[in-house]
This record gives sequence, C-alpha cells and structure tokens, in this order.
Amino acid sequence: MSAPGKLRDLMLRITIDGTRYEVEEGLTLLQALDELGVLMKGVDIPHYCWHPKLSVDGSCRMCQVEVEGIPKLQIACDTPVREGMVVHTRNERVLKARAGVMELMLVNHPLDCPICDQAGECKLQDYAFEYGQMHTRTREPRRALKKRVDLGATIVFDQERCILCRRCVRFCREIPGTSELAITQRGDRSTVETFPGKPLENDYSMNVADICPVGALTTRDFRFKVRVWFLEEVPGICTGCSRGCNVHVGVADDQVRRYTPRRNDDVNDTWLCDSGRMTYQEIGAPDRIREAALRGDSGELIGATIDQAIDRAARLVREAVEKEGPGVVAALASGHATNEDLAALRGLLAALGSETHGLPIVTGAGDALLVRPEKAANAEGARAAGFGEPGLLLDKIRGGGVRVLIVLGHDIIHEQFLGSPEPLAALDAVILLDTHRSRLEQVADVVIPARHLAEKGGTVTNFEGRIQAVPAALEPAFEAVAEAHVLARIASALDLSIDDGSEHEREAD
Amino acid sequence: MGHRVPHVTHYLTEHFADDGYTTLSGFRARGGYETARRVLVEQSPDDVIGTLKRAGLKGRGGAGFDAGTKWSFMPRDGAGPSYLVCNADESEPGSFKDRVLMERGPHQLIEGILIPAFATGAATTFLYIRGEYAEPARILQRAIDDATAAGVLGSNVLGTGFAHQIVLVRGAGAYICGEETGLLESLEGKKGQPRRKPPFPAERGAFGRPTTVNNVETFCHVPHIFARGVDWFRSIGTEESPGTTLFGVSGHVERPGLYELPLGTRLDEIIFEHAGGVRAGRKLKAAIPGGVSMPVLPAGHLDVPMANEFLREHGSSLGTGGVIVMDETTCMVRVGCVISEFFRDESCGQCTQCREGTGWMHKLLLRIERGSGTEADLDVLEDVAGKMEGATICAFADAAAWPVQALLRHFRSEFQGHVHAQKCPLPESFEI
Ligand SMILES: Cc1cc2nc3c(=O)[nH]c(=O)nc-3n(C[C@H](O)[C@H](O)[C@H](O)COP(=O)(O)O)c2cc1C
Ligand code: SF4
Ligand code: SF4
Ligand code: SF4
Ligand code: FES
Repeated sequence: MSAPGKLRDLMLRITIDGTRYEVEEGLTLLQALDELGVLMKGVDIPHYCWHPKLSVDGSCRMCQVEVEGIPKLQIACDTPVREGMVVHTRNERVLKARAGVMELMLVNHPLDCPICDQAGECKLQDYAFEYGQMHTRTREPRRALKKRVDLGATIVFDQERCILCRRCVRFCREIPGTSELAITQRGDRSTVETFPGKPLENDYSMNVADICPVGALTTRDFRFKVRVWFLEEVPGICTGCSRGCNVHVGVADDQVRRYTPRRNDDVNDTWLCDSGRMTYQEIGAPDRIREAALRGDSGELIGATIDQAIDRAARLVREAVEKEGPGVVAALASGHATNEDLAALRGLLAALGSETHGLPIVTGAGDALLVRPEKAANAEGARAAGFGEPGLLLDKIRGGGVRVLIVLGHDIIHEQFLGSPEPLAALDAVILLDTHRSRLEQVADVVIPARHLAEKGGTVTNFEGRIQAVPAALEPAFEAVAEAHVLARIASALDLSIDDGSEHEREAD
Repeated sequence: MGHRVPHVTHYLTEHFADDGYTTLSGFRARGGYETARRVLVEQSPDDVIGTLKRAGLKGRGGAGFDAGTKWSFMPRDGAGPSYLVCNADESEPGSFKDRVLMERGPHQLIEGILIPAFATGAATTFLYIRGEYAEPARILQRAIDDATAAGVLGSNVLGTGFAHQIVLVRGAGAYICGEETGLLESLEGKKGQPRRKPPFPAERGAFGRPTTVNNVETFCHVPHIFARGVDWFRSIGTEESPGTTLFGVSGHVERPGLYELPLGTRLDEIIFEHAGGVRAGRKLKAAIPGGVSMPVLPAGHLDVPMANEFLREHGSSLGTGGVIVMDETTCMVRVGCVISEFFRDESCGQCTQCREGTGWMHKLLLRIERGSGTEADLDVLEDVAGKMEGATICAFADAAAWPVQALLRHFRSEFQGHVHAQKCPLPESFEI
C-alpha cells in the first residue's frame, strides 16, 4: 500500500528453507515472518524471549538459524533481513543447536507439567517434545525455589518454572511503563522479583500471564480453575470500553472462564486492560436478569414468559400510539447493544413514525494505551445508527411528551444522567430490555432478559469506526433473547416490518 | 619460529620502584606528560591513529584487538560527545597487572589516556575500576585531582586547548562488568549485563554515544610508543604482537609476581627463569597462560612463545597474561571445580546456555571429583561445554567452556581415575 507522498517501503527478497519471500526492509527475520503471517504457521522458528510487541532481548538463544555466508548460527530475532539472504531453519545443524538449548533450558525446570496451569499452552512443553530429549541426562538436583510468590494482587509467580525470558520484565517497562519487575541475582540464581514494597500493580498487570511462555506467571483469577484443554476459545470483543479489544472467550461447562487477548495489531496489539479482562465475570454474574417479568395489578413485577412479555410490550406501544399518536413512543438506545440491535431499534421507531430517542453513554477515565473514556463497546456504532445525546429526550419526558419508553440497558440511571429511575416513574410504560438487574426495574412495566454480546454475537463499532464481528460464544444458562430479536417481534406484533440489520454483518471485518 | 625477542626492555614498570614516581612532580621529573603535550601540539588525530596502527599495539584486556584500528572506528564528525572508557575491572582470577599499573604509575595511565582521547575527540574518559580496588581507586583519584589542578586535565590540557576530564567510577563487584558492554550498562547505573552487538560501542556505547573501551595496560603503552617511535616499539615482542606485557605469575612457583617481558617470551622461560621454577623442587604439571578463562596447557606444551599467534596453535590464548602454575600435587578435577564455580557465580544469567551450562558443569565436576561420577558424565560434561560455545550474547560462555574442554582434552585420564577409583586420587591437593 502506498501512502500519498511516501515512497513504497523497500522490499527485499529472502529465501527460507527454499521458499522465496518478499519482505520489508528494516525488519528482523522474526518480524518479517510475523508480518508475512507464516511464523509458526509454515516457518517454525521456536522462540521464547522474542515477543512481537516487545523489544528484542536475544537471550533465550532458541531462535538460532543458519544464514548462508555467516559462519556462526544467528538468532532470528535479532538478525536484520538483507537482500538475497538465504536462511535455513531446520537443517541438522540448526536442529542440533535447538535441542542443545532445549536441554539446557530444562536442566533446572521442575517438569511439573501434570500440575501446571500452563500445560496445554506451554511453549516449553511444546518445544521440549519437538526438539528435546525427553529423557533427562541430569542427575544433579534441580534448583529449589519458591513455588508461590505473590507479585501483586493479580499475579502469582512460580520461581522454579521461570525460564528467565524477561518478557514480563520488558512488558512492565515498555508497555504500561511501570517497571515493577526486575531480574535480580546472577547466573542460575537469577529470578524475577518486585522491589520491596512495590508490588506489581498496574492496569495491565495480567498481561504478563499471557506472555509468560511457561507456567511461571498465572492470574490469581484463573489459576487452577480449568485445564486449558477443556476450554473452548471463541473470538469475542471486550465490552469494557469503546476500544473493543479483541479477546478469546474461554468457555468450559457453558460458562465463560476467562478472557485472554486476541491479537489485533489495529486495535489492541496483544494486550487487554485488567478491568476489561475481568468483565467476563459479568456474563455469568448472579445479577443477570434471568427471567422476563411484567408489572402486575398489585404493582409488583411478576415472572412471565418471554412471549408474554413481548405481547405485553407490543400492546403497551399500540395503546399509546392509538391514544396519542406515534410521537409519544420513545426509546433509549445503548452503547452495549450490537449494531444489529440498534438497527432494529432504529427500524422500529421509523416504522412507528417516532423521532424521539437518546443515547446515554457512561464515561470514565481513559489512558494513553488502550482504555477509552466511553464505557461501552458500541458507543460509536450507536451514534452511527443515528442515536445521540439523551438531553432532548429527557426534557421531553420531563415535559410529559413521552408515554411509552423502550429502554436498552440501564445507563440512563447512572449518576451522569438521571441518577435514579425516579423521573421515569410518571411514564405510562417502561419496556426494559437488559442483561443485568438494576433499579431501573422499579419503574419497568415489562422486563425482558437480553443476551450479552458473548451470547448473541454480532457487530460492534469501536471508537475509531472499526466494525468488528464476533460469533456467539455460548448459550446463556437461562432463556434470554437478543434485543434485535425482541424488537423485531414487537414490530411484527404491531404488523410493522423493520430492517433486520444484516447489512452491518456484511461490512464487518 | 620467526619471532624476535630482543634484549629485555621494561618500559612500563621502569620507574615503579622509584620514590615519588606516583606523584605528579615525580612523574614530571622523569619527563612525564611531555610526550602527550608534544603529540597534542604537533600531530593531528589522524596522525596519531596512523602511528598507533603502524605500531600494531594489541589490546591487553584479553581479546587482543588492535588498538589503533579500534580507535579508527570512532566517528569524528563532532556531532555530540563521544567517550573513552578505561577498563580497570580486572576481575579475572590470576590477573593483577592493572592493579600495579594503577598503584605505581597512575600518571603514566593518565598520559596514556590523553593521547587516544585527543585522537578520538573524546571529552571525557570514564575510568571504571572494580569496587574491591579501594586503594588503587584512592591513588588514581588523587592523581586525577592533582593533574586537574595542574592543568594536565581540564578545559585546557597541558596548555594545548584540548579539553578532557577523567571520571573515576567504582564498580559494584561483578566479573561480568569487565566485559565491555556489561561495563557500559553498569556505568550507566544498570545491572551489569552484556548488550547484544551490533550496535558496537563505537556506534552506540556509554549513554548512547560513541565509545571506545580499552584496558588499563593498553593505555599505558601509548606514551612510550610516541616517545620512542614505532620502530622501537616493533623491535620488542613478535611481528604480530609487538611490545612488552605484564605477566602475572601465580601458583606453585618460587617467585610469584609480576614480570614485564616482551610478548613472545616462552612460557617455560617465564616460569623457570623469571619466576624461579616450581616450588620445593616439585615437578610441573600444567600452566594456564592468561587467567582462568584461558585453556590450560600441560607440562609438555610449555615451550610456547607467549603471543596469541603461537598460543592459538596450542588451543589457548594470551588472555590477560595471568600465568597460573600448577605442580604435580594438583588435582586437575579440583582445578575444574574451582574454575567452574567461579563462572557459575559470575554468569550474568541472560543466555540460556551460559546460565544453565555453568551451573550444570559445576555440579558435574563436583560429583566427579567426589567419586560419584561415571564415564558417561565425562561425555555429558564435554557435550555441555560444547553447547555453550559460540552461541551467546558475550564471550563469557566461551570463557567458561574452554577451560573445562582443555582440562578434559589434556587430563582425561585423571578424570577417568576419579571415576574408576570412585574418589579423588590427590585428596591432599587443595581444599575446594
Ligand atoms: C567475561 C569477560 C570479562 C572481561 N573482563 C575484562 C576486564 O576485567 N578487564 C579488561 O580490560 N577487559 C575485560 N574483558 C575484555 C573487554 O570486553 C574488552 O575487550 C577490553 O576491555 C578491551 O580492551 P583492550 O582492547 O584494550 O584489550 C572481558 C571480557 C569478557 C568477555
Ligand atoms: S516469569 Fe515468565 S515471562 Fe517472566 S521471565 Fe519468567 S518465564 Fe519469562
Ligand atoms: S481497553 Fe477497553 S476494550 Fe480493551 S480490555 Fe480494556 S476495557 Fe476492554
Ligand atoms: S554469555 Fe553469559 S555472561 Fe555473557 S551475556 Fe550471556 S549469560 Fe551473560
Ligand atoms: S527468541 Fe531469539 S534469542 Fe530468544
């Protein structure tokens, strides 16, 4: 791709194991292979210390390759590509060197794979099978170190398993810039430590567990919960803010057990913020709305089926329109809904002929790395669907111009907006489609359990306008429906036809 | 053998026994700083480097790289500061020459720094001295202060208009801080561990600036080359390795000590003529030619001239010229234990092979020495040493592997003796 005013980056031709590649000048061999998308997917150069998003360390010595014309083996992570370079990654000499490093790497390793949380996604285990002698020649005692060191509130460290690749150290120094971790001591006494009184404590601390190539760093949250081979990993999006970081949704036994970063160099590189990562807990949270409910004659919410709730919602809308015209039906959109849900909401309002709507987006702190101030994954998508500030709508509600309000989510009662459900109490009807319980139920006449993004899939648009599609990762443990589906059914109960939002799916990347 | 060993000359240590030589006035009374003044006034930086290259002075810090060539790598575009570093970390067991050069000839060193400082355009020299060298540090600091007060150092060096300062930095005690990039990290206040190369220090060294690192002794030769000329210098030593060097002889000899002798002096001559031979009339068993990281030579191989081009043929190297002599009572497996323990302790721990290999070799050697080794352990030992060679960030791993390989090469039967007897045949040798 050539940007205007900029010359096309110089391309070099290199040959790896007999295959020719065109690569960009100025990259190292590993970077070039990573950019080509063939690293460990065709060209296997094992590596421990190198990480695509961290500085080069060059210490594990696992990535040695033979470069024709250079007598010594070279480390691929620190060897710049050159025009005409011919590289061998799996000849006898290279394999022997790898096996040599592997054997030394395991000299002091506890080999406690059966009880290690990393087993199944451990690079040491993988490479040891491939290059190592699985029988060990060491008769010497292995170094005995501490098995459980709390580096901070989120991360537990097993000193014995650490292979001293320094990814975690470089991460803290280079990504959050907090530098809590350091390698202390020398030689085979080296170990990762924090400074006394300064624990690992930053908003990205849990990433060190992801990048640790072995089971030395584990999150207190996930440790020992599930063996990874029982986890199904489905692509997802974090719903914590409008960055829309890409995650793997780890599902076991119909429950989401963790989010881990899914690499997307345009959105979140290979990182997640800690608070966003923990939002997976919202999915199985006890305060999910698990059942539809209708306001009974006594004024209490009474459990109902979803069909009953949809019927009641449709009836409330119809009555209001018949009595006072379509203008009295209004809606509050949500930045937590998908583009498909929002298109359906838009479509329903249009079909009804109502122009009254608003979009409350709760904001908070952002940072220079990933975290965005808007605390909703699809704030941008909601705006793109035509929803805007809720001010006018709220004025109209206060002025009595609204009779029926369809509400997605409960951000409206956040202190940045109404602060309480009180102002909505005077409405004839509030129809609430939501995932989690809130005080908004106090004024709701119809409550319909909605699905979380991970339960319905769909597209969301991040703050930069990037439309991202994800599939459903799991079925909810109770009956819940996507908002788009509910809205479409309300429309059809009203004999209206609306756009189903499938257009967005086609645009998504 | 094609090398010339002319009449013994000892210019570095010539005045070391004189009273007052360590003081500025005593040094000046013997013509000190006159050479530097003349060079700075009369010659251009290119002349100086040209002269140095013709002299063929080889670095005395261990690697033996040509000093003039190294200085020619420094960019002289005047764009920002560049530095010299004087490597006074001297931590290699068996080496103690730099200490004496600093204690007895501090001004000779300063004069030796001024000339390449001028040639490379460096405004500052960092003199990095090992932390344990408290006394040499004190003597040097006084010499630097006196030289600064007298205008030998400072904004107008010897009245020539050249500005230069020397900053003394005391190390925090690690062998690896002697490796030039480990030194630079330590100098910058970080943990001393070698950097990946490239970039080499001449491109990016101390504080990101072009830097040249040389050993104390390397600097000390420089004024003599300019005082007496290239031809004089090249008439001493060998064709490839001109000049003298300080051989530090230790171990089982009658007269351990420091001997300034021409490069190319035979190892057996150093041991038997200069150091008085093996103690108590015992038989010589082996000698290490240049500090513990250099491969040991057995008694039959000691007629070798002490210069890299000859030692190389015997699979060894001059290193720092620290000659360690061992007599017939020495258990060579214990020697291996002691040496490998040092390397195990001092590995910075970055590279897998070095970190794990040094520890593994030490454990294997200890076990063999204690009589619980097997024939297979000897092969494993050799194999581990082989895996450490040539594949790490710095040369430390090689330095740790070579001595073990040489011990196995030359004394395998003694290792086998431990295995078969299931004990050390020379238990009285020395304590480990
Ligand atoms: C492990 C290791 C330790 C070293 N220790 C020293 C030292 O203590 N003093 C020294 O001058 N050079 C030492 N060196 C060599 C330096 O890296 C460097 O080559 C030298 O200072 C250059 O000076 P020269 O060219 O004047 O010899 C060491 C090298 C290695 C690999
Ligand atoms: S804890 Fe993990 S990431 Fe950190 S140095 Fe050890 S192996 Fe590497
Ligand atoms: S930055 Fe935002 S989207 Fe990314 S992990 Fe954090 S909260 Fe989630
Ligand atoms: S070879 Fe040894 S001392 Fe040198 S950088 Fe690697 S681990 Fe450190
Ligand atoms: S990945 Fe290249 S040295 Fe570790």
